[in-house]
Amino acid sequence: MESIAQGVAQRVIDLVIEALDMNALIARIDLNIVLSRVDLDHLVHRIDLNQVLEQVDLNQIVDRIDMNKLLAQVDINQIVSRIDVESLVKNTDLGAIVVSSSGTLATEAVDLGRSHAVSMDDTIARWASRIRRNHAGRAQPPELPSTPEEP
Amino acid sequence: MPTDADAGLLEPVPGNAGVPQPVPPGRGPQPYLPLSTAETQNLRGQHAGFASRFTAFIVDCAVSVGVFMLILSAASFAASVLTGSSIHWSRASTWVVVAFFAWEFLYYEYFWTTSGKTPGMFLLGVQVVGQDGSSVGTRRGLLRTLAFPLSFLLLGLGFLGILLEHDRRALHDLIAGTAVVYCWDAQEARLRSLARGGGRKP
Repeated sequence: MESIAQGVAQRVIDLVIEALDMNALIARIDLNIVLSRVDLDHLVHRIDLNQVLEQVDLNQIVDRIDMNKLLAQVDINQIVSRIDVESLVKNTDLGAIVVSSSGTLATEAVDLGRSHAVSMDDTIARWASRIRRNHAGRAQPPELPSTPEEP
Repeated sequence: MPTDADAGLLEPVPGNAGVPQPVPPGRGPQPYLPLSTAETQNLRGQHAGFASRFTAFIVDCAVSVGVFMLILSAASFAASVLTGSSIHWSRASTWVVVAFFAWEFLYYEYFWTTSGKTPGMFLLGVQVVGQDGSSVGTRRGLLRTLAFPLSFLLLGLGFLGILLEHDRRALHDLIAGTAVVYCWDAQEARLRSLARGGGRKP
């Protein structure tokens, strides 16, 4: 008797579902009101994201991404400018890679010689600039400002 | 060896190589290069200063004289092998003096015309370019080589432009329409220095 009742109920439910126009029904629902009643935080807390991600085929997703289009929207210069290259070289194996790829004793000596020469260039240029200014000063002395002497 | 830029890509930038900024002490390993990051970033293409150019010239003198003496020695050796009598070169000999100046002319003319840098300039990371930053070319290279002795003959006054002029051009540069710029990658050198400068003092 009970099984007959269950069978009938099942059949009735099927018939009702078949008769329903789900699209029309959904169209009549104000989703904003429904969503405002849902505690999304609570819902999110209950989701085991690790489990969800385990079921996601990331390779398939990545395959569907147009990397060229994505990269075209990325300002690489801005990203690179935000990287502290010096601390990166200091604190990672990148430094060792840089040295092993291009570093020899001769390179080190050449770098050192060149940079010392540039430093000397700067020093000499500053002296020359000072001499030039002094020379110009002797030729035409600048007017002294007539400001009162500070105590 | 650091790579140098092609002559055609360089654009001289007027002014000095930048204001030196001391590295704050006590901030981990210090690089051995005396240049700061700010200096290294914009070095390439700037007009080279007196020290770099003079050092390059000294190196070139040593190289060219050394090679010239080797050539004379080789000639002497070849003569002794072929004729049985060796040649003794004298500095007072007119032929040696003429050959020396001819050799010097060829040395500078060849390097300036072809690559814009002599071995000494290559070592110091400087390069001769046209005043607009283009490559030197045959005409300007030749003109520069011919005008180069003039800067010496005027009691060295021809070199004053390197010290006093804004674009650091000597008399022979003005005559030939050339300039000397830095062409080495100082930023790359600084990264190398940071990479291996652990515990060293600047």
